[in-house]
Amino acid sequence: MTDLFTATATPTPTGVLVRFAGQLDADTAPRARQVVADLALSRGALLVLDLGALEFCDSSGISVLLAARNAATAADAGIALVAVPARLSRTFALIGLDGVFATYATVADAVAAWS
Amino acid sequence: MDVRGRNNVVSTGRDDGPTLLLAHGFGCDQNLWRLVVPALAERFRVVLFDHVGAGRSDLSAWSEEKYATLDGYASDVLDVCRELDLRDVVLVGHSVSAMIAVLAANRDPSRIAKLVLLTPSPCYVDDGDYRGGFSRADIDELLDSLDSNYLGWSAVMAPVIMGNPDRPELGTELTESFCRTDPAIARVFAQTTFLSDNRADLPAVGVPTLVVQCAQDAIAPPEVGRYVHERIPGSELVTLAATGHCPQLSAPEETAAAITAFVGSR
Amino acid sequence: MMCEADDDALGDTGQDDDPAFSALLEDSVEDLYEHAPCGYLSTLMDGTIAKINATLLDWLGYRGEDLVGRRRFADLLSVGGRIYHETHIAPTLSMHGEIGGLALELRASDGTRLPVMVTSVVKTGPDGTAQLIRTTIFDARDRRAYEQELLRARQESDRERERVQKLATTLQRSLLPPVLPVVPGMEVAAYYHPASTDAVGGDFYDLFPLAGGTWGFFLGDVSGKGAPAAAVTSLARYTLRAAAVSHRDPVAVLHVLNTVLNHEYHGIDPRFCTVLYGVLTPDADGCSLAMAGGGHPPAALLGADGSARFLELPGGQLVGALPDAHFAAVEVRLEPGDTVLLYSDGLTEARTRGRVRHSEEELLDFLDTVGPTTAPAVVAAVAALLAGFGEGVDDDTALLALSIPVSAEP
Repeated sequence: MTDLFTATATPTPTGVLVRFAGQLDADTAPRARQVVADLALSRGALLVLDLGALEFCDSSGISVLLAARNAATAADAGIALVAVPARLSRTFALIGLDGVFATYATVADAVAAWS
Repeated sequence: MDVRGRNNVVSTGRDDGPTLLLAHGFGCDQNLWRLVVPALAERFRVVLFDHVGAGRSDLSAWSEEKYATLDGYASDVLDVCRELDLRDVVLVGHSVSAMIAVLAANRDPSRIAKLVLLTPSPCYVDDGDYRGGFSRADIDELLDSLDSNYLGWSAVMAPVIMGNPDRPELGTELTESFCRTDPAIARVFAQTTFLSDNRADLPAVGVPTLVVQCAQDAIAPPEVGRYVHERIPGSELVTLAATGHCPQLSAPEETAAAITAFVGSR
Repeated sequence: MMCEADDDALGDTGQDDDPAFSALLEDSVEDLYEHAPCGYLSTLMDGTIAKINATLLDWLGYRGEDLVGRRRFADLLSVGGRIYHETHIAPTLSMHGEIGGLALELRASDGTRLPVMVTSVVKTGPDGTAQLIRTTIFDARDRRAYEQELLRARQESDRERERVQKLATTLQRSLLPPVLPVVPGMEVAAYYHPASTDAVGGDFYDLFPLAGGTWGFFLGDVSGKGAPAAAVTSLARYTLRAAAVSHRDPVAVLHVLNTVLNHEYHGIDPRFCTVLYGVLTPDADGCSLAMAGGGHPPAALLGADGSARFLELPGGQLVGALPDAHFAAVEVRLEPGDTVLLYSDGLTEARTRGRVRHSEEELLDFLDTVGPTTAPAVVAAVAALLAGFGEGVDDDTALLALSIPVSAEP
């Protein structure tokens, strides 16, 4: 059975880079949530969520993004979304999340804006 | 509806003789008649069947509602008569099938000419002056033991019965399990049988009836046989010097002889 | 002596000559029979006891002379066992010559019951006639205790399963959308289609009376699926109902819900919903409607003139996720012939994989074709549209419509 979803976390000079790829839904959200829970964010660090390889994201997935935001806030760290898929952007607009996350086209852009 | 298939109906003996329809009782199936059939088949047409839920009957035809009363079984007996277009049948009922036979004859006397009631009991539970032989507690204990013997049922299924080479009509193929029944069905049949009370149906019997009982029978004591005989108008009573509840097994010659003599008489 | 015997036991020769070893071998056949670890019983074909070993006599508390030639095997059984013996055991022995693995209960002389396992075999004479029944009896107390434990455990688990089933059914029913009340001067209609047959979904709606002849209503959609979503649905419904009583302003009501949900669900498992909440104030000529929205698709207003437009609520944010969420409000007057339709994301949002099933623009185009309508009619029309989508809708869909009937008088 092909793995429909992957979540990876990699330390970066400025903090952590998390990549979500595939289908993020009610079934796979727990795994994504675990990756977020395991993050060690330090004060002033930047958590970058790269969503470029995300094929699908429903309300459970959005809940994970919000969880990441909560984790960043709690650690006094920053959070940025990179390569948000068009449909997800549309959903953000519908539910009023546009403007809540800082979004960038690439990881480099996000890091540059943070420094 | 395929009655022959539903009740595993088997027909043997002479086509030109009077017809005997043998109905087995609680616990087993038509194989119970195995030892008396050869003698009877010499003179009569012998029709055997399995009650639904027993032997090789169609278990899918079983329903708790229909077979929670003896009337359900009586209906099936009449179905067999109609399906084979049997007339002037001598209906031989063993144990609880004796009462089933009474119910069938009372319902449709047109097909049934005579009744033979083998070790009958119209009511197993003692009731006031009436001695059925068991207390209600005894029957509850029986039902409990059926439940606990659930795990032992599979062992009862173990023995294998070989076909009788002399009587291929009775089935030469290796048939599984004698006396095997689905435990859930057996429990309902047991409850139906041992809690039934058909004393009131006896006086309504309008056909010549023979009551055959054993001298020592733990299930149908002699006084019960006498009771049945006294309440069926014009009935005859034969007491075999045999023990146990199944004289067709323990005393097959005498049983066949008693039936034969009765059928021959007017 | 013991050591020597043990040493020799592993070798192939020698132990046969060892007298000690021979003594150890119980070469008395009688001893083997009488004191076997099981009970031995022989009966005539009619069941009369012919021979019985000491082990069985001990178990039952009888002496040989009490039983041999005087009692039958069936007499040692319980009543149920006796019936079973007559109807199963005896016939089977008659026909097959053997029967095994029977679970029975013997009655000891003091009345106590001994659970046993029984195996019997018929001994035939040289001429093939049956002569005796030989029976072996094993003490089954431990086995029976084990069986009873199994049975008890199974009954317990059956009962538990029934209980859980009943609980699940009750819960499900309580979470289903309610039957709508009758609103004087208005027509109301609703439709709910759960995504799964479990019928516990994330969509919720309600319509209820408030003080002064006004009515509150809401329709919303919680995040997630299954039991966790159902819990949020429940919380959202009763929080909205309670807040509606104490807060006249729809935006304030959403703030209450936001606080409650955010408080309850935050951190690593934030839950939220999108919702429209409104208050109807009917009067002589129609109805005024004040509505607030939190990230939910906008309600559609179908006018008496056949037009259709959205009641936009720009800037409204999802409820429960952000402590400082913002909600938008709108006020509109409803005239006779007007219909308001609220719907959940299941209708417009792409919850299915692949292409967007039906955008809001397409919904508006469809509603344009519906023309001047009523609450029941528009719900029926949209329900039919949904049915036309066929399978593959993996989200719940809810519809709630309110309309003012066109008066009979011109």
